[in-house]
Amino acid sequence: MSEILIRALWILGGVLFFLSIYIIANKALRETTERRVAWMRGELEPKVLEYLNGKGERLGAVLPPLGRTERRVVEEVLLDNGRFLKGNARDRITAACEDLGYVRDRTRQLKSSRWWRRAEAAEKLGTMKSPKATAELIALMRDEMPEVRMRAARALGQLETRSSVKPLIGTLQDPNRWSALRIADILAGMGPEAADELVESFATLPAKARVAAVDCLGRVKSHRAAGLLIKLLSDPDRDLRARAAHSLGLIGDPNFTPDLQRALKDPAWPVRAMAAKALGKLGRPEAVAPLFDLLKDREWWVRINAAEGLRSMGDRGLAALVNAIDSEDRYARHAAVATLEGAGVLDQYVEKLVSADEQEREAALTLIRKIVAAERTDHLMQAASRHAQEKVREQLARLLAPGDVKVQVKA
Amino acid sequence: MIFLSLFLSIDWHQLLLQSVVGFNRYVLYYFLTLNTVYLLLFIVSLFEVVRFVRRTFFSDYQQILKSEMTWPISIIVPAHNEERGIVETVRSLLQLNYGEFEVLVVNDGSKDNTLERLVRAFDLRKTDRIYRRTLPTARVRGIYASLEVPNLVVVDKEQGGKSDALNTGINLSRYPLFCSVDADSVIEENALLRVVKPFMEHPEEMVAVGGIVRIVNGCEVRDGRVVRISLPRKALPVFQVVEYLRAFLSGRIGWSVLRSLLIISGAFGLYKKSDVVAVGGYDSFTDTEDLELVVKLHEHLKKQKTKYRIVFVPDPVCWTEVPERFKTLLLQRNRWHRGMLQSFSRHWRMLLNPRYGVIGTVALPYFLLFEVLGPFVEVLGYLSVILAYFLGILNMEFFLLFLLVAIFYGVFLSIAAVLLEEISFRRYPAWEDLARLIWYAVWENLGFRQLLALFKVKAFFDFILRRRRWGEMGHRGFQPAAPVAYR
Repeated sequence: MSEILIRALWILGGVLFFLSIYIIANKALRETTERRVAWMRGELEPKVLEYLNGKGERLGAVLPPLGRTERRVVEEVLLDNGRFLKGNARDRITAACEDLGYVRDRTRQLKSSRWWRRAEAAEKLGTMKSPKATAELIALMRDEMPEVRMRAARALGQLETRSSVKPLIGTLQDPNRWSALRIADILAGMGPEAADELVESFATLPAKARVAAVDCLGRVKSHRAAGLLIKLLSDPDRDLRARAAHSLGLIGDPNFTPDLQRALKDPAWPVRAMAAKALGKLGRPEAVAPLFDLLKDREWWVRINAAEGLRSMGDRGLAALVNAIDSEDRYARHAAVATLEGAGVLDQYVEKLVSADEQEREAALTLIRKIVAAERTDHLMQAASRHAQEKVREQLARLLAPGDVKVQVKA
Repeated sequence: MIFLSLFLSIDWHQLLLQSVVGFNRYVLYYFLTLNTVYLLLFIVSLFEVVRFVRRTFFSDYQQILKSEMTWPISIIVPAHNEERGIVETVRSLLQLNYGEFEVLVVNDGSKDNTLERLVRAFDLRKTDRIYRRTLPTARVRGIYASLEVPNLVVVDKEQGGKSDALNTGINLSRYPLFCSVDADSVIEENALLRVVKPFMEHPEEMVAVGGIVRIVNGCEVRDGRVVRISLPRKALPVFQVVEYLRAFLSGRIGWSVLRSLLIISGAFGLYKKSDVVAVGGYDSFTDTEDLELVVKLHEHLKKQKTKYRIVFVPDPVCWTEVPERFKTLLLQRNRWHRGMLQSFSRHWRMLLNPRYGVIGTVALPYFLLFEVLGPFVEVLGYLSVILAYFLGILNMEFFLLFLLVAIFYGVFLSIAAVLLEEISFRRYPAWEDLARLIWYAVWENLGFRQLLALFKVKAFFDFILRRRRWGEMGHRGFQPAAPVAYR
């Protein structure tokens, strides 16, 4: 037994020794490499920037012969600049990447057995923006790793070629919901062409991909999608109904008002919340009454969206919010006062308490009395103690005094 | 009469010898099993850390930040007598890099100036905000909102304990996800983006996500941000740095991969509110409400036969203060272990129950065998060695070899944790810190771990005797640290 323990000790001691050496060597190597790369970058970057500014026809002609690490550094400089440059300089980056063989190398790397190498290659090809890699990137959309598919999708989005749209739509069914949303982002960035393609293939998409597709259609603001979106307001899937309502709001056609008004009665609160938000964006007067009713909803999000919707409708909406302060429903009162406060409307009325115009004064008095009666006096109490004008402070103190609240007026 | 003769006929000396030898043999097997489990967990964690780091390289946190589909989060900060650091904590939270979030500080009957400091620092005013009391809690005295910061709410309530404060926060929170954060902690700027990512990827299944807790002692905190990371100067907190690295990078990652994560640190965890409300929120029955909540969630969701995920992600960092005095450490560890025993005693029906999957058949038996019984075996092991010595049956050579192997193995696990840190997150950039980590990884096994075992044994008796003591941590608050010179 002692023999076994001695052996175990030797093994453990050896492992410990090598682990410690490995940790130290790893750190030393990393730091040395980082320093070397930084030095090389300092040497090569000015030459690359000169080329990007228009000097010379080919980057290869400007640079000295490059070793392996130097090639990597030049590629890094080109890609760093490629992320924010536009126009001629951007085209020169693509030309340089093709000329120096980076596009060829990275296209070859797309076939690597290691997924992170494939993902890295796709990412870089996207920034290089060379159409030469399109076919390989499309093929990569069927990769087993979501990270790789995601990078390929983004690269295709950056290439903005028509042939990329279909494979991107196919990837919307990615089981990873976040990937699907990201692809919807990419498609939305590609504009109406992507939207038309999406409407056509919507029926063939699986349930999970549809939410992302609907989201995408809204962001493209495609009128061609309106019929589909309205139909989706009656879909059995709650998420689809909610996103369809949201997208109709984004498209912003006032003709959607009746359909969205119907959606306000949906049993699922996310649908009601999104419909209220959308109606706020459309701004039609006939939506004021149903939004007013929705201020009583049991869900905070629905109430607050309804109140925000009314607020964005101008005078009519604001009048409805003021009326809601009389409501018997305390949720409605709260939502109305909170929105008026947030919009700065309440402060405007407080100012009007000392207005020279009698009508304005009266309107302000009426509103503030309503708020006092509704027992939502926190904001007014604050104003009563802090307002810059003494007259306003006194007036507010008088209005607040009859209730249970005690206000200390600043001397 | 028969019993007496039987009693006298027993060779007690022989029986004692056999018991001591038998127990020592048991300790040997126990040691082998325990360390095999640790080794397996380490291997699982190593693969996962490497995979995670590679994935993080392609994580697109900027997209999460910009996306309209990113879930808004309510951050709940329970605070009891936290006047020293609460303003800094809230400032750090308000600076978080995240789209839509609110910070809810729940002042749980503080007797110091916690509320006053917050009111002064953020220009708070009392509001009439209404909310639905979904979970029963102690009385709320007032709700304060900020004139300057629209997404800050402070709730003043009667004292009801941390779990009660968290439940109050849940009642008042507006968003579908809530994040529990300790008032003495600093969350890294991008931590919310990182911790929400699993929810973005699997919105239907994800229930809770835990982030890593690191030790802030020794670091420099300015305006609620950790601006310089370094190891503490005192030995006790450095031992805890090594311990935390091992616990989080080896332990929790491993359990998370096995889908059996039982602990999400109360200092930093993100939860789906609807699921937490469905299990009745936090429980004041135990002293570790965080552990109890996760176990309750597992039990509830397994019973419902729901497909769910509770995971740990190792890069969203929460920096927290740890005890620098033995007495405070004792109180803290006593509470942790007592809480674990309380939760275990409440959910013992899950033990070895295949209905609860890996949790019932692997994770809970592991906790019973190694976390609950482990400290006893360790302490009794030392006692039996002493006994064997006095009985003259101790094979000194074997004992010393065994002790050395045990220590070497412990050192190996600690160094392995340092390795995981060094190949993945590299939060300690200085060479001195790396050298000290390796040094303390060795010394931690010569006294500190044994001390923790003793604390746990004491906690077991406190649990049996139903003694409950929270213990004040005695935080120093986040002051800029003095320049550290390592020799």
